[in-house]
Amino acid sequence: MKRDPVVAPAVLLVWAAVALFVLYPLGRLLVVIFWNGGPSLDAVRGLVGDWTHRAALVNSLLLAALVGVAGTALGLAFALLAVRSNLPRWVGRALDAIVLLPLISPPFTAAIALIFALGPRGLVSYHVFGLTKVNIYGLWGTLLSETLTYFPIAYLTLKAVLANVDPNLEDSAFSLGARRWRVFRMITLRLATPGVANAFLLVSAASLADFATPLILGGTKFPVLPTQAFLQITGLYDMRGGAALCFLLLVPALAIFAGQRWFTERRGGSFVTVTGKVGAATRVKTLSPAAVAALVLVCGVVVALVLVCYLLIFAASIVRGLGADNSLSLAHYAHVFSGGLKAVRDTLVIAVICMPVGGLFAVVLGFLVSRTEFPGRRTLEFAAMINYALPGTIVGIAYLVAFNDAPLALTGTAFILVVCYVFRYSLAGTRATSAVLAQIDPSIEEASASLGARRDLTFRRVVLPLVRPALLAGMTVLFIRAMTAISATIFLVSLDWSLVTVRILEGITNLELGQASAFSVVVILLVYLAVAVASLTMRRLNAGSVGQAGALLGG
Amino acid sequence: MRALTEVGAAGGQAERGKRLTLEHVSKRFQREGQSAHAAVNDVTLTVEPGELLTLLGPSGCGKTTTLRMIAGFEQPDAGRISIGGDDVTTLMVYRRSIGFVFQNYALFPHLTIFENVAYGLRVRRLPEPTIRARVGQVLDLVGLPGYERRFPNQLSGGEQQRVAVARAVVVEPQLLLFDEPLSNLDAKLRVQMRAELSRLQRQLAITTVYVTHDQEEAMAISDRIAVMHQGALAQVGTAEELYSAPRSAFVAQFIGRVNLVESRVLARSGGRTAIGLWDASLSVPGGDAYAVGQRLSLLLRPESLTLVPESAKATESEVVVPGIVRSRTFLGEKVEYAVEVGGALLQIVAYDPTRRGVVDVGARVGVACDATAVRVLGAES
Repeated sequence: MKRDPVVAPAVLLVWAAVALFVLYPLGRLLVVIFWNGGPSLDAVRGLVGDWTHRAALVNSLLLAALVGVAGTALGLAFALLAVRSNLPRWVGRALDAIVLLPLISPPFTAAIALIFALGPRGLVSYHVFGLTKVNIYGLWGTLLSETLTYFPIAYLTLKAVLANVDPNLEDSAFSLGARRWRVFRMITLRLATPGVANAFLLVSAASLADFATPLILGGTKFPVLPTQAFLQITGLYDMRGGAALCFLLLVPALAIFAGQRWFTERRGGSFVTVTGKVGAATRVKTLSPAAVAALVLVCGVVVALVLVCYLLIFAASIVRGLGADNSLSLAHYAHVFSGGLKAVRDTLVIAVICMPVGGLFAVVLGFLVSRTEFPGRRTLEFAAMINYALPGTIVGIAYLVAFNDAPLALTGTAFILVVCYVFRYSLAGTRATSAVLAQIDPSIEEASASLGARRDLTFRRVVLPLVRPALLAGMTVLFIRAMTAISATIFLVSLDWSLVTVRILEGITNLELGQASAFSVVVILLVYLAVAVASLTMRRLNAGSVGQAGALLGG
Repeated sequence: MRALTEVGAAGGQAERGKRLTLEHVSKRFQREGQSAHAAVNDVTLTVEPGELLTLLGPSGCGKTTTLRMIAGFEQPDAGRISIGGDDVTTLMVYRRSIGFVFQNYALFPHLTIFENVAYGLRVRRLPEPTIRARVGQVLDLVGLPGYERRFPNQLSGGEQQRVAVARAVVVEPQLLLFDEPLSNLDAKLRVQMRAELSRLQRQLAITTVYVTHDQEEAMAISDRIAVMHQGALAQVGTAEELYSAPRSAFVAQFIGRVNLVESRVLARSGGRTAIGLWDASLSVPGGDAYAVGQRLSLLLRPESLTLVPESAKATESEVVVPGIVRSRTFLGEKVEYAVEVGGALLQIVAYDPTRRGVVDVGARVGVACDATAVRVLGAES
């Protein structure tokens, strides 16, 4: 199908969009860093001399590693409990519902909740345990908050991996005389190892890119790269310095991304199943009752902590000042629906515009890379993924550098916010599209062609209806991200177009935690509503496994 | 079929029964890390109007690639393909008037049976009443009236197969192409469906190319069979021609089962040739083609050989050679024997064993071969 009159224009269009909104800003960013009237390393060299910047690099890497380990361990515990413990089905469902909370919450939620719970006059630390020396600010607070926020990513990844380890393999090890611990170590864990490594990298990447949590909890003693870059630009108006900090962040982020690609693409690496025939249904026997009990305990504590966090946020939103004046009041919500209404409306408008635009982009890209042949296909696939892989701070600063003045003065417009989300968060939809297409034999499209339909008609009549579940999943993810993102878009907002997440940040910095909580509750409810609508629609579409928007948020 | 043609006349008389020609068609595939490999090599072939020609061969012989080039899913690297005299070599698939039936049927899972069948008509923007009428008629034709509102996943394999055929023929294509359409059905259904396909094709008289690796299926439905081997055409002919006069050992072994025995021309006289068979001499008709002393491959079909008592005397026109039965497989209507003769195993089939008895393994027997049963490989029939 070489001379297809439809594929070539579509490829050109996608390439043009990727070049303009992914490669161009990144190129401009690199120019700002390495060009000062000529090639120059001054900007990077300047960083090395500064204690704060050196510390930010070390702290970022340390934090990412610690959150990676802690998040993966928790995720593994939850995953084992969900798919390897023979617990009733509702337990798994309940775990999924609770674990979804941190994934769909606005970025500061866990941080605010921890301040309420464990802050200087924390409800738990001071009012319950009477402790006065608890310091939530710094490495440990940030670590705790990020772990609670990002372990669900590891959980979703590992749940899928463990669910794919055929219990018959464990049975065959038992039949050869191995005991539980040995089977778990040699079979279950071994088969899940690539998944564990992948989960670690995903969680580390999320931590490395996290801007919101360290901004609230890091304080001056614990600077990290994304917050330093933000402060360098918004506080000191030093674009080059901020850009150079981005570069320090770029290197480990790309390394993690490359590692993660390596783990997922190495076909043999995920040696999970695909043996064709499904083995006999068998009861999982790997975990002893004592081990299950231990898992229940660990996961129970974490679930309780997560629930307490969200209850605190809710409580803070409906009283005057949580911990100080606990009288019920709707004043915070009144503020949200008066002064804050514009931000809510703007965010919703942008999120709603993002859905069809990004959804269609995702499906078209997914179709092009998995169903057509053209030169540079792999390159396009990679290029389209860059904005997703990079920490939002880098993307935001790159957009700021590229689109702040002529010829493309776009910052502050709704357009640039939409574009930013589309290129950052369409990947989930693209992956879902590829997954759906992988299950559809190419002969279906050939059948359409043999009946006289051109590629565009085939795409409209056959491909699009078949990838509807992927489209919907992709749009749901876009909606959730557009409602909750901050790290990139904080550089792009204006008086004309503001975002709820920015209002939450303002609420925190102005010590209006009640308002911030009310905004958070509104966002969480809106997002939950979107997820519920999407799930119902999915069920009607018979979408099966692709249909879980929650699972797509993980990777 | 008359009804279908009449409706077709309303929307422009359908053009069927076109001649398909392939001239020196070649296709190479580049596998990763390997040199280019010729999937199809210099194939020249004509399919007459209304004819059903089967491309037969083992997997990897290039038959499906050839079919996909005819359809336009693949483009040949060299050569020319024309339908009804029009060069379609580089024509996009959706501009060719073809009906393609896929191995896995490739029904659109999100569309009802009606919409599946109507798809090609909708693409052609026919008026709705015409679409309704033609879909109804073609569903009748394939024996699925009343299935309009079901979805493909609610149908059995055989029913899906019929829908796939209906969808392909409803657009009244100039060419009907089948890619191993029966290989996903169970054995009984396969036999039934191939009879139906054959009947349908004759009724519609659409020029048809049919790909299969099953020689029995090919023989059952084809007007002619083109045997392919390693990307090239090995032989084209009717089932009888291929069976009785295969031009190569490959064709002989692929079409039915065969014993190939090396031989030598002993003498020629009066239009007959004496050839050596085992340790005896056998006189076969024709003699001009061979030189005395020439080596020949003889083709002995298992059903042409008979088991006789060890002591039986040979008649004028036959050779009897002693052997030992090494194995026997009882299959109901026939018994298959492997008989060791002169250090080699001969396949022999004996029919109606309940009436004619079964020989035990280890028994010493005579194998009788009549001169009329001997074919020389490569000779014209």
